[in-house]
Amino acid sequence: MRKNPLLILLSIVFLALLLSGCASAAEEPTPAPPPEPTEVPVVEPVAEPTEAPAEEPMEEPTAVPTEEPVVEPTAAPTEEPEPMLRTDNLEGETIHLYHFGDLSGPYAAITGPLVFGMQDAVNALNASGGIRGAMLDVQFADTAGSVDEAVAAYDRFTSEDDNVLAMITYGSGEAEALASRFVEDQIVNLTAGFSAEAFYGPGSGYTFGLGPIYPDQLGYFLDWLVANWDEAKPASAGDEINLAYLSWPGAFGQGALTTESRAYAESLGVNIVAEEIYDLSPSADTTTALLNAQAAGANVIWTNTLAFGPAALMNGIGALGLQGQFVLAGDNWAMDLATYAFVSDPSLAVGLITPFPYLWWNDADNPGIQAAQELFDANERPAGAHNVGYLLLLAGVDLLRQSIEVAIDTVGFDALSGQALYDALTTMGPIQALDGVIRVDYSDGSRSPHNVQLRQIQGGPDAFNVLQDWTDMPDLRPAGE
Amino acid sequence: MSVLRKRWQYVVLFVGLAALFLLPAYSSESTVSFVNRVLIAIVAVQGLNILTGYTGQISLGQAAFMTVGGYASTLLVTQLGWNFFFALPVAALSAGVVGLIFGLPSLRVKGFYLVMATLSAQFIIPWITRNIYGDILHGAQGLNVPVPIIKLPVINNLCFFGTQFDGELGACVYRFATSDQFIHISLVVVILSTIVAHNISRSRLGRALVSIRDNDLAAELLGIDPFAYKLKAFFIAAVFAGAAGAMLAHNLRHINSVTVNLTDSILFMGMLVVGGLGTSLGPIFGATLVILLEEIATVMSPWVISVLPDNAAGATAALRPLIFGLALIVFLIFEPRGLAHRWKLTKAAWRMRPFSR
Repeated sequence: MRKNPLLILLSIVFLALLLSGCASAAEEPTPAPPPEPTEVPVVEPVAEPTEAPAEEPMEEPTAVPTEEPVVEPTAAPTEEPEPMLRTDNLEGETIHLYHFGDLSGPYAAITGPLVFGMQDAVNALNASGGIRGAMLDVQFADTAGSVDEAVAAYDRFTSEDDNVLAMITYGSGEAEALASRFVEDQIVNLTAGFSAEAFYGPGSGYTFGLGPIYPDQLGYFLDWLVANWDEAKPASAGDEINLAYLSWPGAFGQGALTTESRAYAESLGVNIVAEEIYDLSPSADTTTALLNAQAAGANVIWTNTLAFGPAALMNGIGALGLQGQFVLAGDNWAMDLATYAFVSDPSLAVGLITPFPYLWWNDADNPGIQAAQELFDANERPAGAHNVGYLLLLAGVDLLRQSIEVAIDTVGFDALSGQALYDALTTMGPIQALDGVIRVDYSDGSRSPHNVQLRQIQGGPDAFNVLQDWTDMPDLRPAGE
Repeated sequence: MSVLRKRWQYVVLFVGLAALFLLPAYSSESTVSFVNRVLIAIVAVQGLNILTGYTGQISLGQAAFMTVGGYASTLLVTQLGWNFFFALPVAALSAGVVGLIFGLPSLRVKGFYLVMATLSAQFIIPWITRNIYGDILHGAQGLNVPVPIIKLPVINNLCFFGTQFDGELGACVYRFATSDQFIHISLVVVILSTIVAHNISRSRLGRALVSIRDNDLAAELLGIDPFAYKLKAFFIAAVFAGAAGAMLAHNLRHINSVTVNLTDSILFMGMLVVGGLGTSLGPIFGATLVILLEEIATVMSPWVISVLPDNAAGATAALRPLIFGLALIVFLIFEPRGLAHRWKLTKAAWRMRPFSR
């Protein structure tokens, strides 16, 4: 066979390009192990000139680290005066925040107000001088509820900014999928998707919650239910608590039912008698799920859904004439004005019980709620946005403000990074954001709050009344955490 | 018809591929991530093209077969400790076997009824992943998926070819953790799948499939067993989907029952229509255009929010389906044979210049 020299030459060039393409990745640092946040590397002084890896030949082999690194004495840097940290008068500087969520998919009803809350909070903060004079800049990406899109948004933001401090995410699925990336890139993820897997699963570590993880929420409700069963139980129920888990598919819908929460329910003597899934759709038919739950002897229903999710169950209960047959409970998102938009009869929502990790609009004596109301009115937001999402993000931005200020005080503005923000969050102790609208404490090794209220709808949309005031929740983090 | 006729066309292809392999060196990770998504979609649509484009069997189960591939690869890597590069072809074959099962109804039903039969895959497979073997599949929560790695031995205390020493594994390791790194896997798989798909279309198998599509009775009279060939088409389509699913899972690092869903199956069908049914280039054009339109919708969202603050949620919710639907309608009316056909016309016009207009 006659050999074509051009083809051979091109093949060699192609192979060389391919190898060099692969080798370029070697310059990147290896992914960081789970965080050791407070340790500051002191072996090398910061000012030491670093080697320029780009100038090295790409195929240069890397040395395997020896077991005992040689530490050279570093006397000189200590004699130099400490450089002044820039912690104040940061006018002209910009702090970038990134958030992405579902504005065009199934969770849009809750994400829309979250985005409004973020925008209004940041605008208000900038109008009042920003953070020590530095202005906040917010970038948003719509993920349509798709993890694929969320990863794309993450890649886009990280490629545009080499020093991303924090990203705010709203979905359990995206928080789970991105958890290991946040660790590798040392970016704080403040999330409203409370999947235990995202917070404490393998490879996670930089995900912080604006509310408690869903298994904790279920455990907290069950604690209260067991203690108050005689008063709370439906008229037709006996002494046994039989729970039906009727929810959406996916990371969020199934987020409360974990090995730990099942074991906890069992330890409390609560039987999980039915697990049914219904469509993630405003027009979902829940009658089959409800009838199956009834046939299994359920007297309590838990749903990990929001907006049209709990509404579909309420409508189903109404259609089947099963009012008063079940104690209906759900995750924190279930109790929201967004639910009312989908309920055929508002009276069907009465009785719903959920953990409540924040204050509500009717806590009008709280200064944070007052400020939120003023902001909402000033921005002339639509009535539909007057819900949990808006409120939570106002508090979330205040939480970020406080932690960024602590990080700036610690490392200075010029060294502000995701790692510095992580350190701040995990060392600040109890934080009351927006005058106590949310209460978190990430200093105990937990990255989700453990102190919440339990509320019940006892009237119209404004009557989300407290059944149990701020109390500690059971800790149902995944084993091994 | 040969796509490449002349030597300079091979050179252009070669340079194009080299440019894609080197994309991370001169482009942002955002662009690389976009190309990566396109490449994975191309593999899935190429499979659908063999089933729908060449054989005429409409399927809405492609995303479900991707789910099978994603789970199979993940389990092989996490439970059996296989390397991703061995798990990938086995996962693809596993999806192929499942595809065979859902292809069985093609013996008795066709057209609209076959669509319904394949749609069942889209319900049954996610249900299985959610409700069966919960201790292994983790129910609706799904599985965390490790990134692909290449392990090389340590030679004289040195690591070569850009690998880094991993103390846990005791070896030199290259991790395909970011899009910049993963795109090399996607590109290799797309090149292989394109070669396979293109050659199938030119082989005895491809001609048999086309004859079944055009007139299955006539094909049978010519000695072609329609059932056997339809099953082969289902198998091949599912193998492609399985490979795409495995890549997607390892790229996203997570898979559950809704990672790819019915909407994706419909999108794949749309990509095929827009790109051109029954052509080698159709899946490439279609996947690129549709994902580009999705990206445009995403980029437009903040602008839509600022223009329509009172109806932001509704407006952005409408944006994506609106753009996709419009594109589909435009193609069905003005270019029903897709972008590949338009490309063919453009090439023919260029060859015949100045006599073409």
